[in-house]
Amino acid sequence: MRALVFPAILVLVMAVIGHVLTLHLVPSVIMGTAMNRLAAQGAALHSFRLAPRTTPQTQLVVRPSPDLAYSICAYHLRGPQPLRIRAAAYDDYGSISFFDARTNNFATIRIEETAPDSSGPDILLRGPAGGEPDGLFDGHDLRSPTPRGLILIRRLAPTQQAYDRVRAIASADVCALSSSAGTISE
Amino acid sequence: MLGHSVMVLILRSLALTLTGLLLGGVSAFWMSGLFGAAPVTPASDISLEGWVSDWAIGSTSANAYTRARVARHGLLALAKEEAVYFIRNRDDDGDPLKASCHYELQGGRQDAAWWSITLYDEESRLPMNDDGALSIDATTVGDADTWTAVISQTRPEDRLWLSSRGAEQFDLTLRLYRPLPSLLATPETRLNPPSIRKRHCGAGS
Repeated sequence: MRALVFPAILVLVMAVIGHVLTLHLVPSVIMGTAMNRLAAQGAALHSFRLAPRTTPQTQLVVRPSPDLAYSICAYHLRGPQPLRIRAAAYDDYGSISFFDARTNNFATIRIEETAPDSSGPDILLRGPAGGEPDGLFDGHDLRSPTPRGLILIRRLAPTQQAYDRVRAIASADVCALSSSAGTISE
Repeated sequence: MLGHSVMVLILRSLALTLTGLLLGGVSAFWMSGLFGAAPVTPASDISLEGWVSDWAIGSTSANAYTRARVARHGLLALAKEEAVYFIRNRDDDGDPLKASCHYELQGGRQDAAWWSITLYDEESRLPMNDDGALSIDATTVGDADTWTAVISQTRPEDRLWLSSRGAEQFDLTLRLYRPLPSLLATPETRLNPPSIRKRHCGAGS
C-alpha cells in the first residue's frame, strides 16, 4: 500500500501542473496561431487590412459575423515607440477593439460616438515598455498589457452595398508606428 | 545492480510524470469545452430558455476556463459593455439542432443597438455553403415587433432563412451589440430569447 503513495502523489502533482499549464497556454497559442494565419494571408505588422467580406470560404477565425466588415492590424511593440491608430468615421455601427496576446479585450472605442469630427477617433497605443504620454496628445491614450496583440475594427455591413461603403472609407484607417504623439513613421 | 534499480526508478518516475501531465492537460481541455463542439458548457453563467452566455467573455476577469473556451470558440469576442453573445444548440424540445431537421425560429425586439443571429457548424465555423443565408439581423427584420425565420437546408419561398446546408449538428449565436444597461443588469427579464420549434426531420428539410 505504501508503495503506491509516492506514485499517486507524483501523478496528482503533475496532473495539477499539466492542468494549470494547459489553461495558461491555450489562449496565447490560439492567439499566436491566428496572428500567424493573418500574416500568411498577407497582413503586415502595423497596418490595417480590410478582410474580404465574411463568407464560409473566407473565414479566418472561429465564429466570424457575416454582418460585419473587419479591418485588422497586428502589432508587436517591443520598444518605446507607440502605435498611432485612427479609424475612419462611419455613420453606422462601428467599434475599434484591442486584444492582447492573452485574448483580453483590454479596450474598445466606439467609432461614431467618440469622433470629435469626421476623421474618426485618434488613438495612441503604447507597449508595456512604452513611455508616458507627453501631454500634447488629446486623443485616447492606451497601453497594451503585452507587446503583441491585435486591433480589430468592426463596421456593420450586412449587405454587399454596405461592405462596398466600408471599403471606400477603410483606406483612411491608420495603424502605424509613431515617433512621437503626432508623427507617423510610414 | 544498483544502477539498474536507479534506472528503473527514473523510468517509472518519468512515466508517472508524463501520465500526470497528460491527465492534467486532457482534464483542462475537457473542463474548458475545448474538445469538439462544446461552445456551451456548464460553466456558462447565464442560461435563458436554452440560450447561454458568460458575461466574463472578453474581460480580464474571465477565469482560465472561460478564457480558454472563448479562445477556441469565439476568439476576439468583445467585453459585455460592447457586445454580449448567447449560444443555443438545442431546440425547444431539448433536442440537438441538426441540419436534417426543419425549424422555425421566432423572436422579437432586443434591448440593444443592433443584434444578429448566425448559424455555425460543430467546429464553430460558418457552414460550407454558398446560399448567402448565414445570418439574420436587426436590419433584415426591420421594425417588426415579432419576426419568424426558417432554418433548413433548402431555401423557403418568401421567408427569412438561415441555411443549415453543409453543417451536421449546429448551433446559433445571438449577438447583441451595445446592450442597454437594463439588459446587462437583469438579462432574465430583459432578454427576448428567440424560440426554436422543430417542424419535421428527414428528406426535404
